[in-house]
Amino acid sequence: MATDTEAEKSLEIHPMDQFLIKPVLGDGPLMWYSFSNTAMWMGITLLGIIIFLIVGTRNRAYVPDRFQMVVELIYGFVRNMVQDVAGRDALPYFPYIMTAFMFVIFSNVLGLIPMSFTPTSHIAVTATLALVVFISVTVIGFVKHGLGFLGLFWISSAPLPLRPVLAVIEIMSYFVRPISHSIRLAGNMMAGHAMIKVFAAFAGVMGIGSFVPIIAISAVYGLELLVAFIQAYVFTILTCVYLKDALHPQH
Amino acid sequence: MKTDGSDDRDQKKSLQERIKNLEEEIKPPEKKDSPISQASMGWRMVVDLVVGVGLGFIIGYGLDILFDTKPLNMVIFTLLGFGAGINLMLRTAKEMRDK
Repeated sequence: MATDTEAEKSLEIHPMDQFLIKPVLGDGPLMWYSFSNTAMWMGITLLGIIIFLIVGTRNRAYVPDRFQMVVELIYGFVRNMVQDVAGRDALPYFPYIMTAFMFVIFSNVLGLIPMSFTPTSHIAVTATLALVVFISVTVIGFVKHGLGFLGLFWISSAPLPLRPVLAVIEIMSYFVRPISHSIRLAGNMMAGHAMIKVFAAFAGVMGIGSFVPIIAISAVYGLELLVAFIQAYVFTILTCVYLKDALHPQH
Repeated sequence: MKTDGSDDRDQKKSLQERIKNLEEEIKPPEKKDSPISQASMGWRMVVDLVVGVGLGFIIGYGLDILFDTKPLNMVIFTLLGFGAGINLMLRTAKEMRDK
């Protein structure tokens, strides 16, 4: 009991410190040109993707080896997803969706390496990804359908007096989507990492009983691995859903 | 010449039928929704709802500051944002049903 109270006094939890952006090259304040840890890990993410995809397919074998099989599996998975969700005419946009998927999944999983940094746990990164999707989907919609794209907001099946209200609601829904698109990914990544940090802080002060939080950390780590993949999948499938709305705006 | 053409057509038709039958035979079984994807759908609905209300509140609050009509726009747009969240939720539900 006595040790318990002592432990609680020294219990200091800083679950959010891991998300601090700081320069990795040299000290001093963070400027726009500083090479920060988030930039470094994004670079590592890109390097990982390049190594994974290029080395995986370097043989271009008719009978793929294991490495090439994984790469082809991911390619086919994303391609099928685009085709199933957004339709065949969405396939020209497949390269971007594949790129986004690879980026998100790699930075999610690389962020699970101890002492690493997760760029996707920052709303700034995910919001940029979501904004790219939002803006390009809007532009594609207007280019493909002209002003008819605005019919997306005008529910012709509703009674006439209700339509203006529904139009406002539809427009707000349209703007809610990129926000929830980005918050979902960043929130999921941040929550899991913060949770692990909190458990780790418990483990640090519990002495002999620390095996309980350590087991909990292992469990949460497994869950986080799952979440890393699922969130990348969800991010990508929502991109496809939004793209479908732009290509086929009728409900 | 004429009989040949109709023969060709018949052959083509039967061939198409055979292809169709075979395609149905080798069609992969319907994918069942895993609990994981259902959980992510539910999570999606929750986030959409919350963000809708939040966005509505922020829009209303901004309009209130602009026009000096303190609580009015805030209330209206929060409700509209809630409506937008429900709308997105229903759309997700429809997507689940259609699959």
